[in-house]
Amino acid sequence: MFEKLLNMNRQIVFILVVLAVIIPMLLNIRLPLAVSEPTQKLYDYIDELPSESTIMIAFDYGPSSFAEPEPMAEAVMKHCFDKGIKVVGLTLDPEAVTLADNVMQKIAEEKGAINGIDYVLLGYREGPIQVILGMGVEIASVFESDYTGTPLSDIPMMADITNYDQIDLLLDLAAGTSIDAWITFANTKYGLKIGAGVTGVIVSEMYPYLQTGQLVGLLSGFLGAAEYEKLIDTPGKGIAGINTVSFVHLLVVGLVVLGNIAFFIQQRKEQG
Amino acid sequence: MKRQVPLILCFLFGVVMILTEFSPHAASQSVYNEIVNWTLIVWPFATVLAVATLVQTHWARIQRRSEHWQYSYVVFAGIIVMAAIGVPFGMKHPAFEWLFNNVQVPMGATMFSLLAFFIASAAFRAFRARNTEATLLLVTALIVMMGNVPVGDLVWNEVMAWSPWSDKVSEARQWILDNPNLSARRGIILGISLGGISQSIRIILGIERSYLSGGDA
Repeated sequence: MFEKLLNMNRQIVFILVVLAVIIPMLLNIRLPLAVSEPTQKLYDYIDELPSESTIMIAFDYGPSSFAEPEPMAEAVMKHCFDKGIKVVGLTLDPEAVTLADNVMQKIAEEKGAINGIDYVLLGYREGPIQVILGMGVEIASVFESDYTGTPLSDIPMMADITNYDQIDLLLDLAAGTSIDAWITFANTKYGLKIGAGVTGVIVSEMYPYLQTGQLVGLLSGFLGAAEYEKLIDTPGKGIAGINTVSFVHLLVVGLVVLGNIAFFIQQRKEQG
Repeated sequence: MKRQVPLILCFLFGVVMILTEFSPHAASQSVYNEIVNWTLIVWPFATVLAVATLVQTHWARIQRRSEHWQYSYVVFAGIIVMAAIGVPFGMKHPAFEWLFNNVQVPMGATMFSLLAFFIASAAFRAFRARNTEATLLLVTALIVMMGNVPVGDLVWNEVMAWSPWSDKVSEARQWILDNPNLSARRGIILGISLGGISQSIRIILGIERSYLSGGDA
């Protein structure tokens, strides 16, 4: 029996994963959620910003990983628009421009924010490090127009924004190593405050920056998005996502424990 | 000459950029700003080179009938269709947005989603407490996984209700991330940074020349 279990067909595991994803979605389960310290820090930082402040959001993720950072983007933008904080969007990833445009338009419509007054999407430019350094000198030298082609000089909310000196926070929503570049070239050189929202697989890499204060706060995958949604009291994709992820995690833990029990019993049998 | 000029340029710009870091003088900052602007102009040429190399590589695959050469036609189809819409009409054109939202996004999301299936299957097969190191890794991974999701707290509290650690899984996960994980990661960052500095010095001084293509000769 244990030998059979150890050699279980992987298609059975696949079916179990499908069920662990679908069933919680159908049942619409709500799990109790505590807010972790890194999420609370980011929320507090944004919440304490006065109205008319400006935060920059870097949408540094592509279609393959947007499921985790997108709920973070939605939650943070809702919080910003509710508080009257202006949002400047951009990306260092050519695949992310349309994703960023979609999410900014969606939340702006929901909150009644106006393009050019409450938010603007600058778009994408080649060369991540050059773009980060260039904006420290002058944003208009890198992005002469926004994503729709409107010159920055014609955009009301950009009238008083020249470079990072007028940006209160850069939030990098990332699925890769862009945060290292933002910290090295924008935080260290220009003193820009940086927060991060990253996919679960790279979150452990962010802790040194969090401890040194180079990151003001950190959102960790679906969990971070769900916690932020809880803080702004607006359930969304993050809470729905973490409920599904919870059961897949539970399944994987269960499979590992089961596999190890079977492994030990099998070993005992072979020895004795 | 083909080697000397790039080496001299590399040395000059490398030294100048280092010096501007240590001087807040207006002239120094003006030089810095100017060079940053130049790099913004130079960088897009790398993209042109990248596209040319991609086309060259896949054209050669088709000509040589290498393994899976048929897929190279898919690469060309993708480049031509997206460029034919995106270059003249821009990325806001409905056809470009439709192709992105309905072809690229689902394909990318599907590739990433497959990971869940393979990770679950691989964890079941390979994650075994065969020795002390593997057991430590296994226990750490299970605690972090349980602490990462709300249902982990619920299950842990039920299973460990008899013990003094009944409500500690999130704290345990945070401690692992804040201490052993942070220490190891910081060591890696320091190592990478020191390596980066030494490699940069070698490039500026012309000791490391592999970027000129053709090795160190």
